[in-house]
Formats: sequence, C-alpha cells, structure tokens
Amino acid sequence: MNLTIFLLALFDGIAYAALVFIVALGLTLIFGVMRILNVAHGSLYAIGAYATVALTGFFLSLGLAPALSFPLMLVAAILVGILLGGPIEWLLLRRIYDKPEVLQLLVTFAVFMILEDVQRLVWGTQPYFEARALQALGNVTVFGVTYTVYQLILLPAVALVLLLGLRFFLRRTILGKLITATTEDREAAQSIGIDADKVFLLTFIVGAALGGLGGALASPTTSILPGMGADMIVLSFAVVATAGLGQIEGAALTALMIGLGRSFAVYVWPEVAVLVPYLIMVLVLLVRPEGLFGSPAARKI
Amino acid sequence: MSAPLLETRNLMIRFGGVIAANDVSLKIEAGRNLAIIGPNGAGKTTFLNICTGWIKPKSGQVLFEGEDITPLPPRKIVRRGVARAFQIPQLFTEHTALENLLISAAAREGMRHPLRDLSRVPEREEMMHLLEMVNCADVAHRTVDELSEGQRKLIDIAVALALRPRLLLMDEPTSGVASSQKHKIMEILIRALAEARVTSVFVEHDMGIVGDYADEVAVWNAGNVQLRGTPTEILEHPDVIRDVIGEVA
Repeated sequence: MNLTIFLLALFDGIAYAALVFIVALGLTLIFGVMRILNVAHGSLYAIGAYATVALTGFFLSLGLAPALSFPLMLVAAILVGILLGGPIEWLLLRRIYDKPEVLQLLVTFAVFMILEDVQRLVWGTQPYFEARALQALGNVTVFGVTYTVYQLILLPAVALVLLLGLRFFLRRTILGKLITATTEDREAAQSIGIDADKVFLLTFIVGAALGGLGGALASPTTSILPGMGADMIVLSFAVVATAGLGQIEGAALTALMIGLGRSFAVYVWPEVAVLVPYLIMVLVLLVRPEGLFGSPAARKI
Repeated sequence: MSAPLLETRNLMIRFGGVIAANDVSLKIEAGRNLAIIGPNGAGKTTFLNICTGWIKPKSGQVLFEGEDITPLPPRKIVRRGVARAFQIPQLFTEHTALENLLISAAAREGMRHPLRDLSRVPEREEMMHLLEMVNCADVAHRTVDELSEGQRKLIDIAVALALRPRLLLMDEPTSGVASSQKHKIMEILIRALAEARVTSVFVEHDMGIVGDYADEVAVWNAGNVQLRGTPTEILEHPDVIRDVIGEVA
C-alpha cells in the first residue's frame, strides 16, 4: 500500500466516521436517557437528507449563494427534530416506556417502515444529487492527495463540536443535570418537581435532530435514494452497540474504528468491505457483550 | 380563621379487598409536627402518597392552604410546597451530595436558565447552608453512593428542603439507621425543619422517637385515624398500648 492509497483510505474513513458518529450520537443519547432503541432514527437521517435537498433546491434556485446550504442543513435538522421527533415521542413512545423492550422495538420499527413509505410518496424512488455545499468549500491537498474540505475538515469538525458540546451540556448545565437525574431515577426526579415528560420529549427532539443533521450533512456527499435510512440505522447501531449503549465518547471511538476499518478494507480487501463494520461489532461483542466502554450494569448516560 | 396547612376531606381508596383509606378527614396545622403511628397495613404510607399525588383517591379531597390539590400530579404538588421524603432516600446516587441539592434547586426554579453551569448557580450558597443545617457540609463533594445510610437520610431531607416546602411528609425518617443513631438523626432533622420553618408529618414505628419529637400523634387503624392527641395522651392510652405498642414490642 503506497502513501496515496493509505491517505485516501484514512481520509475516507475519517469523513465516513464523522457522519456515522453524528447519527449514532442521537441514537445513543435517546437510548441512554430513555432506554429505547429507536429504529426510526434511520428514517430521521434519510428525511434530514431529503429535506436538505428540497430546501437547498428551492432557495438556491432563487439565485441565493451556495453557502446558504449550511444554515439550511441546520434548519432541516431542527425541522426533523421538532416536526417528526416531537410527535413520535408525544404520540407513541410516551405510552410504551414501561412496556417490554420487544414491543418498544416493534413500535419504532413500525414508525421506520411508515416513514420509509412516506419518503417514497413524497420524493419518489429516483435518486437526488445536491453537491453544491460540497463544491462551495473547494478542495485541499495533503501530501499530494486532493480531498474535499467539506469531508476532510468540516464533517470531523462538526462531529467534534457536537461531541464536546453534548458532553458539556450533560455534565455541566442545569438542563443536562436534570436530564441525567431523570435518567437515573424517574420517580425521584418527579418527587422533586422535575417534569419528566418534558425532559424526555426534549431529549427525543434533540436526538432526532441529530439524526436529521447526520442526513443533512451526508446529503452533498452521496446520492439520496430510498433505503439510505436502513443502511444508516444498521451501521450506527453497530457503532453504538460496539461502544456500549449510551456511551457518548465511546461511540466516537468506535465510529472511527468502524469507519477506518471499512475504508481500508475498500482498498485492501474490497469483497468484504461492507461486512467489516459488522465483523468488528461481532468480535467486540463476543469478548465484551456490554460493549467496549459499557459496564455490565448498563450504566446510563 | 385561616385555613389549616393541610386538610383532607373524606379520602377513600381500596386496593383489592383492603380499604387503605376509609373516610380520612384530618387537619394539619402549621408548626405542629405530627407523627403517624399504627400497625402495618393500616394505610399510613397510602395517606402520605395521596397527599403528595402519587396515589389518587377514589373519592375525597386534599386541600393545601385551602386550595384543592387532589387532581394535581406529584411534581405540581411539590411546587405548591408539599415535599416528600421516602423510606429509602431517593437520591441521585451517581451525583455528589451538593449536586443533588443543586438539582433540587434547579427543579424548584423551573429551568429558567437551562444552559447555566450547574456549579455556578446562585443557589450554591443556599444549598451549602442547607448541608450545614443537616451536619453534612463535610461530605458535600462526595457522591451519594459513598455515604452512610444516616448521611443519605439527612441529605434526602436537605434535598426536600431545597424545594422550599412548607410541609414535609416523611416515611420513617430513621428506618434503616442503627438504633444508636436514630435520636441523633432526628435531633438534627427536627432542628433543621424548625430553622427552615417547615412543618412535618412523619410515619414512625419507634415510640421513643414519637415521644421525643412529635407535637401531636395520630393513630392509624384500618385505613382511618383512630385517635389523635399529644404524645403523652396517646402513648399512655390503653388502646394504643394494646394495639400498637404491644405489637411493636
């Protein structure tokens, strides 16, 4: 393997890991706080991508600058969080917190299936491309390898900011502490007057918006087509499970592991590239069933 | 005449065949610490749970300072000024003692500044003072799972006081604590409540504690108040000696 190929694989891996991590962050936040594995998170990712393409398509056709794509991504993510995440928690999940996990999984899977069809109804089955955000930032050359600034710098930077931001938010701020307290003991939280329903709703909206943001950020780098949500939920679940459910920092490391593993496999052993993330997950879980950073007692966030 | 601090009117509830509250009508006056005694299954804890909204009565009303709080959820009743301490302290064990109080204060302030750094909230001084009041200032920065049961009991009370209640309902405040410690803990607790001007209602099985720390005693039996009076009157009453003290001894 020469340096060029090594660097390409490294950059691919980092860019990919950043995206998967952003999506996995929402998934693991929701699981850590609410103990629900939200399969519909994959759809929120896909709809975040579709919404970004629709928004940028509309506004840029009015002649606005391509740089406007970036705030529009945020808008798309927030819309996904509030318009989809809000009702999902409020209308469905709220009723099933004390039900068996299998039922919770089935309900979120049902939401996933419904949203998959909604995407086909709204956006059809033909793929969309919208790479103006990618082009707007141009390229950078590192040791002779030219790569997009968007993927090599912006995506990892956003992932890092989100990681540090969420960490600070949960550990230091008042709302973060109220969330972790509610996670630790819902009844105790209510007995000191915390509105646990509101805390859960807010957490789910934030988690859903992170899924949407992942899709929004992914949209310039990939073709938007049906099924992208399914791929992403499986992959981000692999990241979250490998790290240990509810482990935020751990998810960052396993996202890197899985992203790099996959991208190097593409160059070295392309036949198994798709399998690599799951091989890593299986190997880790065989040795540590609770995940790399999880504790056997299923410590919450 | 002003309304009593807490008043219940004809509370009724049954669980299966057991009548846990059978027409309970009771008035609690501010500043008079009331002990509730009685055999197991008499409905003492159920009464506390109804007053704090955790159990809704089949019929009847709970009035706090003259206002009907029966339909409110527990968290809203807490906001009105009725706090609750459980038999097992309900603390966030992965957080420090001070953080537990700060979380309580944040809940009281209703998330007015959700993104403020918890360690820099203006209530910090006030919370440290509460920890001093319950003799736990020295363990302010230890996580709760490192503390003794007695310390947890006291911090649990401080967490409740952080909500600035006017009434605190406690379920066996000294249970689970070595009997040599019980009086010491009650001493600290009653003193802290007096300083914070909080009236308390506490369920207690230890008649020594009832005699020393209650201003009034209510005897529960079969889901209702059988007798009520001063500790001396109640603890010397022949029915109480037969039904309650006899059973405990």
